[in-house]
Amino acid sequence: MDSTLFIVQLINGLQYGLLLFLIASGLTLVFGVMGILNLAHGSMFMVGAYLAWYFVQQTGSFAFSAVISAVIALLIGFIVERTLIRQLYRRNHLDQVLLTIGMIFVFNALQGLLWGNDPLGVDVPQALSASIPLAGIIEYPVYRIFVAVFCVVVAGVMYYVISKTRLGMLIRAGESNREMVECLGIDISRLYTIVFAIGVMLSAVAGVVAAPISSIVPGMGEHILITCFVVVVIGGMGSIKGAFIGALMVGLVDTFASVLVPELSSMMIYIFMAFILLLKPQGLFSS
Amino acid sequence: MLLNKRAERLFVWIFFPLALLMPMFLEQNEYYVNKLTTIMILSIFVMSLDYLVGKCGLITLGHAMFYGLGGYIFVMIAPEYEAVNFWIYTFYICAISATVAFVIGFLVLRTNGIYMIMITLAFAQMTFYYFSDSIDFGGTDGVFVYVKPETSIFGLSLFDLDNPTHFYYLCLLSLFNTLLFFKVLIRSRFGRLVDAIHANPGRTVALGYNIFIYRLVSYVVASALGAYAGYLFTLQYGFVNPSMLSWTTSGTALVMSILGGMGSIYGAILGTLVYEGLHYSLEHLTEHWLLFMGGLIILMVMVFKKGIAGFLEDLLEKRDGK
Repeated sequence: MDSTLFIVQLINGLQYGLLLFLIASGLTLVFGVMGILNLAHGSMFMVGAYLAWYFVQQTGSFAFSAVISAVIALLIGFIVERTLIRQLYRRNHLDQVLLTIGMIFVFNALQGLLWGNDPLGVDVPQALSASIPLAGIIEYPVYRIFVAVFCVVVAGVMYYVISKTRLGMLIRAGESNREMVECLGIDISRLYTIVFAIGVMLSAVAGVVAAPISSIVPGMGEHILITCFVVVVIGGMGSIKGAFIGALMVGLVDTFASVLVPELSSMMIYIFMAFILLLKPQGLFSS
Repeated sequence: MLLNKRAERLFVWIFFPLALLMPMFLEQNEYYVNKLTTIMILSIFVMSLDYLVGKCGLITLGHAMFYGLGGYIFVMIAPEYEAVNFWIYTFYICAISATVAFVIGFLVLRTNGIYMIMITLAFAQMTFYYFSDSIDFGGTDGVFVYVKPETSIFGLSLFDLDNPTHFYYLCLLSLFNTLLFFKVLIRSRFGRLVDAIHANPGRTVALGYNIFIYRLVSYVVASALGAYAGYLFTLQYGFVNPSMLSWTTSGTALVMSILGGMGSIYGAILGTLVYEGLHYSLEHLTEHWLLFMGGLIILMVMVFKKGIAGFLEDLLEKRDGK
């Protein structure tokens, strides 16, 4: 592999990893704070992408579509938490798995009902459609760099919110001791609703920004969900920092595997995960 | 008494005689015989999962791996254009998949709870992608089985696998044996210990038992039976493809086992029957059957927690209480 190809693959890997982080952070946040394993998390990625497509069709503005999709996702998260997830806090993981499998079925059916099963695509927004030359010969699309930067900004904001604000303090407190937070007079169920809605929104936003660089197809949610599982398991369930490191690792491993060992490329991240789990059964940064 | 619940006895006494007579009513309709055969095969698969999840408390989301492996091992080791002996290959497939399960179980059982759910899923995905990408095994199209095995024992051939009715009886027999096997296993000393480990692992360790060995044996046994079910499925339809290994297969099996009543073993048959029945009828009513299926699963988790078996048991107990 020459150095140009190496650099391109490195950027691709980082960009993919950062996108994975955006989705996995919501999954791990919801698990860390609420103890809920949300298998329907990937479905929200799909919903985000389809919403982006729909609103771009209607309005022609990508920025507007992104905002409205995020708001809708937040609303879905709010409703789902209030009606369904709320019942599950005291139940075991098995019930959570089942309920969220049911939700996957419903989301997939609604997607078929509303938008059909043909692959769709969203154009890259005009302002970001340029390419920049990389090492003389290869052009690299600006939009992909925008995606990477956007994810880094989101990661920064999340870090700030969790470590510096009052909401972040509550989230950290809720992670370590639910009863104690309740005893201090804080409405934990409201906190849970907020965390769940934000987690779901992160996944949908990832779907929106991924829409122009991937094809929008049924089943995209399940595919990304499983990859995020790998990320979260490598990083340690519930750890945002772990999700960040894990996402970058998975992004790089996946991208380089498809160049170096194409015949094993889709298996490579699972082999990598099994290897990590053998060394650290609880993941790299388990709390 | 092997069947210690009224609901269980009632079910077994109604289900098996009915199933035995069923092909006589359906003689003209091969489609339904095939459908019922598939339900029997799935029931074996779901039952082995039910034992693992409901009895041992080992939640796995990768059981489909063995279902698919059952089929793939067969096409790997059997000659393409020659009829092999069914019973000998049953033994081979169970032995090979048990070996695989032993190695994987050794790794997987080091973790527990949520981590176990995910690492079992990861192993299943690994095999899924391996077979989807492999040129030798036909990629996503899978492999065809051109010649079905013959079933002679000591020169006596009981079943002709090309005949749907014969195949139906073979699967029914297998299902009955699987039920019997698990019931005996659960009543044995081994089964009592599995119960104890599920109820309180810490105390069982304190009593001086090596719980890892019991879990590993359970995992190996359930996986081998899962592979057997996959082998039967491959023989019925004459092909094996990666969708058998997909995580939705594992997920659906979990749903069936919960629907039937987790840990009740015979509930696996109930759950599979009801799920497949609903699937079949909804699919014919509307193309958006998935919406209703999803809604049903959500409803089930919310209100119908103990599954059909639990519901039946409560119903019969209540009548006794009067």
